[in-house]
Amino acid sequence: MSNVQTDKKLTGAAMVVGGGISGMQSALDLAESGIKVYLLDEKPAIGGTMARLDKTFPTNDCAMCIMSPKLVDTGRHNNIEIITGAKVKEVTGEPGNFKVKVHQRARYIDIDKCTGCGDCAGVCPVELPNEFNGEIDTRKATYKLYAQATPNAFAIDKRGVAPCKATCPAGINVQGYVQLIKSGKFIDAWKMIYEEMPFPAICGRICAHPCQTACNRAKVDEPIQIATLKRLAADMAYQMDMNELPLPEKEAVRDEKVAVIGSGPAGLACAHFLALKGYSVTIFEALPVTGGMMRIGIPEYRLPKKWVDYEIELIKHLGVEIKVNTALGKDITIDGLFKEGFKSIFLGVGCQKGTSMRTPGENLEGVISAVDMLRNIGLGEKVEVGKKVLVVGGGNVAMDAARSARRAGAEVHVLYRRTRGEMPAAPEEVEEAMEEGVKFHFRTLIKEIKDNKGKIGVVETIEVVRMEKDEKGKWVPVYGDKVTAWQDVDTVISAIGQTADLSFAGDKPLTNQWGDRIVADPDTLATNVPGIFTGGDVFTGPALLIDAVGAGKQAAESIHRYLQGEDLKAGRQFKVPEEKISPIPRKAASYPQQPKVKQAHAPAERRAANTEEVCLGFTPEQAQEEAARCLNCAICSECMQCVDACLPKAIDHDMQDREFEIEVGAMVMNPGFKPYDPEDLQLYGYGRLPNVVTSIQFERILSASGPYAGHMVRPSDHKEPTRIAWIQCVGSRNERIGKGYCSSVCCMYAIKQAVIAKEHSHEPLSAKLFYMDMRTPGKDFERYLNRAKEEQGVEFIRSRIYGIDPALDGSDDVMIRYADEDGKVFTENYDMVVLSIGLSAPEGAKDLGQACGIELDKYGFCRTDTFAPGCSSREGIYVSGAFSEPKDIPETAVDASAAAAMVSRLLAPARGTMTEVQKFPPEKDVNNQLPRVGVFVCNCGINIGSIVRVPEVAAFASSLPGVVHTEEFLFSCSQDNIIKIKNRIQEHNLNRVVVASCTPRTHAPLFQSSLKEAGLNPYLYEHANIREQSSWVHREQPEDATDKAKDLVGMAVAKVRLLKPVQTSFIDVNQRVLVVGGGVAGMTNALSLAEQGYAVTLVEKTDQLGGRATELRYSLRGEDIPAFVEKLKSDIEAHPLVEIALRAQVQEVTGYLGNYRTTLHKEDGFKVEVEHGAVVIATGADETSPTEYLYGSHAAVLTQTQLEQKIVDQGLGNAKNIVMINCVGSRIPERPYCSRVCCTHAIKNALKVKELNPAANVIVLYRDIRTYGFKEEYYTEARRKGVIFIRYSLDDKPVVEANGDRVTVTITDHVLKQPIKIDADILALSNGIQPRLDTEALSQLFKVPLNADGFYLEAHMKLRPVDFAADGLYLCGLAHGPKNITETIAQANASSVRAVTLLSKGRLESLGNTAEVDLELCKGCGICVSACAYGARVFDERRGVAYVREVLCQGCGACVAACPSGATQQKGFEKEQLLAMMDAALG
Amino acid sequence: MKLSYYPGCSLEATAKEFDSSVRAVSKALDIELVEIPDWTCCGATSAHATNHRLSVGLPALTIKQIQKMGLDCVVPCSACFNRLKTTEYHMIHNADIRQEMEKTLAFQFDQQPRVYDMLAYLVEKYGLKAISQKVQKPLKNLKVACYYGCLSVRPAEITGIDSTENPMQLDNLMKALGATPVSWSYKVDCCGAGHSVAKSAMVTNLSGKILAKAREAGADAVVNSCPLCQTNLEMRRPQGEDIPVFFFTELMGLALGSPEARDWWNKHLVDPSKIVNSIQAE
Repeated sequence: MSNVQTDKKLTGAAMVVGGGISGMQSALDLAESGIKVYLLDEKPAIGGTMARLDKTFPTNDCAMCIMSPKLVDTGRHNNIEIITGAKVKEVTGEPGNFKVKVHQRARYIDIDKCTGCGDCAGVCPVELPNEFNGEIDTRKATYKLYAQATPNAFAIDKRGVAPCKATCPAGINVQGYVQLIKSGKFIDAWKMIYEEMPFPAICGRICAHPCQTACNRAKVDEPIQIATLKRLAADMAYQMDMNELPLPEKEAVRDEKVAVIGSGPAGLACAHFLALKGYSVTIFEALPVTGGMMRIGIPEYRLPKKWVDYEIELIKHLGVEIKVNTALGKDITIDGLFKEGFKSIFLGVGCQKGTSMRTPGENLEGVISAVDMLRNIGLGEKVEVGKKVLVVGGGNVAMDAARSARRAGAEVHVLYRRTRGEMPAAPEEVEEAMEEGVKFHFRTLIKEIKDNKGKIGVVETIEVVRMEKDEKGKWVPVYGDKVTAWQDVDTVISAIGQTADLSFAGDKPLTNQWGDRIVADPDTLATNVPGIFTGGDVFTGPALLIDAVGAGKQAAESIHRYLQGEDLKAGRQFKVPEEKISPIPRKAASYPQQPKVKQAHAPAERRAANTEEVCLGFTPEQAQEEAARCLNCAICSECMQCVDACLPKAIDHDMQDREFEIEVGAMVMNPGFKPYDPEDLQLYGYGRLPNVVTSIQFERILSASGPYAGHMVRPSDHKEPTRIAWIQCVGSRNERIGKGYCSSVCCMYAIKQAVIAKEHSHEPLSAKLFYMDMRTPGKDFERYLNRAKEEQGVEFIRSRIYGIDPALDGSDDVMIRYADEDGKVFTENYDMVVLSIGLSAPEGAKDLGQACGIELDKYGFCRTDTFAPGCSSREGIYVSGAFSEPKDIPETAVDASAAAAMVSRLLAPARGTMTEVQKFPPEKDVNNQLPRVGVFVCNCGINIGSIVRVPEVAAFASSLPGVVHTEEFLFSCSQDNIIKIKNRIQEHNLNRVVVASCTPRTHAPLFQSSLKEAGLNPYLYEHANIREQSSWVHREQPEDATDKAKDLVGMAVAKVRLLKPVQTSFIDVNQRVLVVGGGVAGMTNALSLAEQGYAVTLVEKTDQLGGRATELRYSLRGEDIPAFVEKLKSDIEAHPLVEIALRAQVQEVTGYLGNYRTTLHKEDGFKVEVEHGAVVIATGADETSPTEYLYGSHAAVLTQTQLEQKIVDQGLGNAKNIVMINCVGSRIPERPYCSRVCCTHAIKNALKVKELNPAANVIVLYRDIRTYGFKEEYYTEARRKGVIFIRYSLDDKPVVEANGDRVTVTITDHVLKQPIKIDADILALSNGIQPRLDTEALSQLFKVPLNADGFYLEAHMKLRPVDFAADGLYLCGLAHGPKNITETIAQANASSVRAVTLLSKGRLESLGNTAEVDLELCKGCGICVSACAYGARVFDERRGVAYVREVLCQGCGACVAACPSGATQQKGFEKEQLLAMMDAALG
Repeated sequence: MKLSYYPGCSLEATAKEFDSSVRAVSKALDIELVEIPDWTCCGATSAHATNHRLSVGLPALTIKQIQKMGLDCVVPCSACFNRLKTTEYHMIHNADIRQEMEKTLAFQFDQQPRVYDMLAYLVEKYGLKAISQKVQKPLKNLKVACYYGCLSVRPAEITGIDSTENPMQLDNLMKALGATPVSWSYKVDCCGAGHSVAKSAMVTNLSGKILAKAREAGADAVVNSCPLCQTNLEMRRPQGEDIPVFFFTELMGLALGSPEARDWWNKHLVDPSKIVNSIQAE
């Protein structure tokens, strides 16, 4: 509903960017106040940093426990749409009507189908460091960010294409099968290879492996031995019966016939893939044997021919026909083939001829080409090479020739024109040849072979100095002088290249100008003759086997497209673009070195004499070990195991990133922060010493859901530490690394960690904090610090650490060097060191700032104005949380609500225009009906079903009285089964429902709403948790687990039969708010409420508005505070919805939430009665009045506020020496809290003095300087400008004596340890803040609590900073605790939207499970009234009974337990219902 | 590659082996060193402490010479480097100083930075990869503690070092030579050179601690790049401390197979021959 009208059309929706605690709070506030919310998060789940914390200060609450209700509320809210994995790309439009372009990364898992069961992660082989746990443990490529993640669904992490896959000519998913091998799934691995390439066993042996060359692991140590892994997969697969191999499915038979010329790797691959497409393929082979170079080019010792036979046999299996001894151009012709009915021809004839050496004497007998020699060996002919052989060339063919000659018993010399490093042959080949006794002569070529009667005579070789390019760009040798003459050479083998014989082409335009290659389109491989395609060596020149296979595969696709009349290129990817190839996932140096696993070789001396296979491959264990070295560059390996494991079929690897546009009226930015990465500060040893951890890692170590399940142990050896050191200000207060600000939270979280660590520890734990200034300025923080020091024994050492070393004894301990305040150097050993890392601007802040058009500061934060916190530089875009300044959770929560208030102000006219209220059918009357119970038992995939015998439980349930229907579900929570439950309610006329599944915390509301949708009261429902309470905890005892599940179901049925429908009640809410206090807090709050469309009565007890701010003159940044207050005053006075009551005080308060009636007593004696729905207390606080340092008795002694006034109103006069004393009246036993603003106030004034008179001496006496956040910059500036800071301690306070019209201040300097006397013209005291005297009276009127220091106490110090525990009452400003003007304004805004979330609904609904009273039984003792924390129990004096005010009741049950007469019962938990459960349990 | 070379006085006297090894290493790396003709004292000690104008003027005179040569200049001695670089920095960033020097020394400064710490030049400009390719005898099994001292490190905006708290240049160079740099936190601790004469007992304490920590961290030797540190670490050390100290160029010379190396060891005050022999024996 909207209370504000405007002509302009506004969009009643907002986008909240960032789903941390701040984003959730903004989203909930907005959605609850009638604005539709799109909540974006870059991660797959919301929760932000708070989800990673263990406990929170200062209450030591469990972070997850207090946060998960917010997660659930956000996740289930009707009007909040969560968009995960999403980033803002661009924002156009204007305030009220923005268009936001959003990029959403593919999740690869359908969030609607995913039940969060985790079966996918169970089978995923890819492990990577778990960022959420600070990388202490690992997670899978498919993962849920954390156990309680919202949305409760998995996501798959992918990053581009792994270089191995990208470089494989056949496009094999290398990473995929490597991972399968790692998991021991060898047959699956073979299948994955075979799908892309029909020669796993062959390529596993002799592939030149471009994949391995590209492997990123080479940057760490050595590449993964991919080819050898492939070999193992094939060897394992081929141990099976050929008929049982999981061969790829053949498509339906097609009519077209295709001819393939050549049965080499290209031809066979082409035939294989065409056959799979259903074509009938005939291969024509010129030789009497099949396999091409695989058989006749590669010697037996490298590739036993049985594998060639086997894999060709598999291809024949598909129906491919091979005709040997059929040469193209001789036995058949191209035209002839077309005539015979072949529709297409693939030319894969290869390069069969050796290239000429162009050396004198090369035609002599005994000079042979390597290809000829190898072919003859391959064909089984005897090859004589004599006793002494020279091989010319440095490629793999040369190696094959040399090693074959060696096996024929010859002495073999290889001559190569360049150096060893430049040899094109695979290094392992060269090495193996050397082992076998082949000798190498580098930079050497044959000059001439002398003729000895037609045979080889003396061979002269010549030294090559270097290779040079001639003018045509061809490499030619430059010869030196050294000539060697070789005697007795029997054979010279030329292995310098091969070429093709293309005489068959005739006059067809198939070849290039030299007639040695076929020309074709390099991508589609289509030649100039329609229907003829090519590939392999005949197209590329001599190349790798895998290149030929890839070409055959490529050509097969082209031929298929050609035959089907499709475009040859459309939609095909021929090469993976460079930018898509994934880089090494992390810095190479961060991986531990782990050399490759070496396969076994046959002994060199033996193998040089025979043809046994040289390489022996991996054992399965070796293969798994080697595969485990894979770095998983693309993260997900696409091994597809998850697809099979996922029963709800939620996984879709084909999902694509998408971009879309959302229209919103306003935006709230809360991307949070990035924990500082201390790797840059090498001196702290992070990343170098295993037991130096960051504070975030330590949170995870402490956390029960962390890597060590809450056992506090150190990472290196899982030993429980007994000595821990915390080092503060790591990545904070450090200008040199560009972090010149204070991160605000580290002091407190370090103290908290020390305290919690002490609690965790079984042994007494020594906990030391090394710090510069202890900064605990927040509410109740100083008390926490004192307790840590005095009660828990945490030690605090003021020192900046400058040396961290490994312990000398060789243990994993950490040695710290530090100097204490006296300059004495200490060396101490610790089990563990925690670095209190600071908060950096969030990752991607720059992009976000650019996309949204908002300005960021030099650190990347989005700073906001002193008087307009939460407003970015672009109107309509607001910021909150740590993105605007490092801050803690309570301030973040305040900011979040404040930002929501800004949105709510802007979009007030559009309130309620885009939100939806769910409609339900009328409820069936079930009174006086016999129970008809439906029981639905869930398998939760295999989570329950694999332990608990679900059918048995269901059968048991159906035997229970009242049960008329039972049913089993695989996943009860899946969308289709929710519908089924609704249908069953109708079909079987059910009037009670029990679901036995997982936790009711997240799932019961889901099932209850399906009851509502089916027209049944949602309270006629009971839940049995048979997962967490049975199958998960009794995994080892399935029998007992089944029995227990039955018991749980039995209990639920017993109770559900007795349940009654529960009706909630409603009350109307008065739309006016009473704001008490007319300072900046009250005025800001009132104005915000009024602009959001709600009437306000603003009560101020003095005769003017403005409060304490009227005493101030300028802000830290120099802004004019009086002008701001004046503006605010005139705005509020002019607003029609605001009524101002000056000189008035609250006298009496009656009524309750939504309907208060408050009497104001005016100074003139009149009384005014105000009816209102909510209250905001903004009554402010007082300055303390100093009682020491001659204050009040000497004119030179002022408070900081007085100094500020003096500077502006009168000027400094002749004052030369200005001394300031901080912590006057604060942080002392009588007032043990920090007043938060005084340090900054002193620095503000000091800078002002220096600005007016740079020659003035300003000396600040302090205990700790607490310039948190960006205020630190002013502290730095003050020191730069020459302000002197001298520290004093509480037991050695400054002494002030009068000295004429000056005072003499004596202080012991903390460095010199000498007393210093300063004659001060002005002594300014930084006095603190204290609660107002009338606070207590007011707190009693409104029945709200105060804390020990006398400030109002909020509902929850962490997450509900502006609410009182009772609904309808809010607070802000100094009344809540000391804070500066910016924080006051933020809090005032925040409390306004909190009130609006209540008011905007118009009426309030009570909870269902409230307490109710049997008035007959009530004795009127009143115990329940004092037991109720929410003011929901009220004593009716007239009737002498205590009744329940239902809208206030929170259903906690405290009053039920307290009631001595049993008059109070809680709906849904009535005595007889609970007794029935117990009876059922006990049988 | 041709560079101008500023040896400074130490390299002509107490650190002769530094000069000789710099020249030998340069030869092995195909670097031609051209000694600056008529180079002037850098003023590191007296001028620096007594007369600001002179402390800038002396190096400025050398900078004038360097500019005339038009070559990048390498300076092995950390103290010389610090004075020359500081002067160069001020003459580039401070117009007053520049104009004064230009007037006094009668030249026009082109404001090109040319002064480099020899170590930094080799590591960053020449490149570790190029150096490692020239290594003939990798310093396998040699554990060294890399010690940087202060003058080539601070202040960072002038020296341009990678990190003032944990510099890595020397460590990375040693890795490229095949040695293993140990992890320790004393690499920039003070050696006490400033008080070497006046308060030698205090300096012995400081140097002694550095050497003891190097030993505790498992180092066989300390390696450094400053003749002042070298003198201190060798001369001002507690009795019985025998860990040797090397100039980085000496270890480079060993790794690059410089034949001149044998002339260096008798210049040391602490006999390094055990380690040298063990390296050469491999």
